[in-house]
Amino acid sequence: MKLIDRMTRIDRRIIYFILALVVILPLVFPTVLKVKPMAPVEALYEAVDKIPADKALILDCSYAPQIKPEVEPMAVAVLRHAFARRKKVLVLVLYVQMLGLAQKALTQVTGEFNVKAETYEDSIIYGRDYVFLGWTPPPLIPMLGMGESITAVYPADYYGNQTDTLELMQQIRNYNNVGILVCLSGSAIPKSWVAYAQNRFGVAVGVGCTAVSGADFYPYYQTGQFTGLMVGMKGAAEYEELVEENLKVAEKRMASEAMLSLTYAHVIIMIFIIIGNIGFFFQRRRK
Amino acid sequence: MHKRIALVLVFVFGILGIIPFLIPHPIVQNFDEFIRNDILRILAAFALALALGSLLRVHVDKIRRKRVNWQYSWILILSFAISSIIGLFGGVAGTGLLKTAIGSFHFDIQTLYENIIIPLASSMFALLAFFMASASYRAFRARSYEATLLLVSAFIVMIGFLPIASSISSRLPAFAQWVLNVPNVAGQRGILFGIALGAVATSLKIILGIERAWLGGGK
Repeated sequence: MKLIDRMTRIDRRIIYFILALVVILPLVFPTVLKVKPMAPVEALYEAVDKIPADKALILDCSYAPQIKPEVEPMAVAVLRHAFARRKKVLVLVLYVQMLGLAQKALTQVTGEFNVKAETYEDSIIYGRDYVFLGWTPPPLIPMLGMGESITAVYPADYYGNQTDTLELMQQIRNYNNVGILVCLSGSAIPKSWVAYAQNRFGVAVGVGCTAVSGADFYPYYQTGQFTGLMVGMKGAAEYEELVEENLKVAEKRMASEAMLSLTYAHVIIMIFIIIGNIGFFFQRRRK
Repeated sequence: MHKRIALVLVFVFGILGIIPFLIPHPIVQNFDEFIRNDILRILAAFALALALGSLLRVHVDKIRRKRVNWQYSWILILSFAISSIIGLFGGVAGTGLLKTAIGSFHFDIQTLYENIIIPLASSMFALLAFFMASASYRAFRARSYEATLLLVSAFIVMIGFLPIASSISSRLPAFAQWVLNVPNVAGQRGILFGIALGAVATSLKIILGIERAWLGGGK
């Protein structure tokens, strides 16, 4: 077989092997790759940063385990940002299979802060600083219902506490007390937040999504319906960069550590596409 | 007769779903809140029970008739039963009636989720990267003018969003962002208008009883 033909027929096992190598090696020897935050991520960071003291951040962790590596770093970075700035946080999910991931992110970040806290005031306390509302089906109910009363939609939180007895819920009654709602998802859920929560109640919506769904969301960002936008692992790494740079929160940066793998994987895929096209070009000329 | 009742219910509740967006009067808003917070929630609970019952019935039937891969249905039923018992009686973090720890070995619902569901689902999805790499190598060829345009724009966006982009050219990230902000948005917006108009038309057809395929029973 000639070289040109070989270029168009590389065995898929070779591609798999090289790809596995470039993805795994940087993860075994993690290095933080610095990224320059882009405008959509900076806009989201600014919006979370400027939440007034009497208003809360709602974090919708509607991401499934399949997209965890991309979206979980976003949840962790936003929570770190909110807790470092002492923002009030309400966490919820719209589908039952996402509860465990939201719980995991919350446990991790509150643990990070509480292990360093010296006083009760410094600590991140459940019911005072944050509440995990859990899940109530179908998604339309919380989206519309929280405009009137959050405790009516969630009479009990994830742990079974009566929400109207929690200190935080005495202050945060509905969307009027919400600074921004950040939806982390790999599906079309953010569009529903715009349709039901933003159009009807005027609540600001920020979004973190997978890279593959990012292109779908740019029209909403351009019109201002999304206050900010984090796209894929790169978006998460940019947010991590902003949190560390501005707030000096030096914790493990999952997305930034995975950027090297991501970069190498993209470069390898591009190299294979170029090789395939060179072979294809010469084959066509020969014919 | 039962089809007529379903059609009337869809018409009434379809109209009731639209009205609160147009009339801000407290009576209308309170009634809408009652429908959403009480009726819709009860319906959702029934739907959940119905779905779980249906899932179990399908798999029990598969085992009884020894259909292809019937053995896997046992795994589903057993997993369903075990996770239901642990979830219902073990509490969220192992604080319920059922003891979910033997010494340092924990099997509460969160531990099961973090150690079984997350790795399984993540691994399944991770395989996609390998298939995509192989598929893009085989299919991404500059066969025509349109394919070349697609290839070039994909390369610009891919390189532009990599951390090394600014090392190649300081303008590359901004140019990749422009591709997403302008040509991409123009195309997406056209598609969105089409989808929105289509959704409005289909919804009206269902509410008015013109479209009845959802009732089933047709050939």
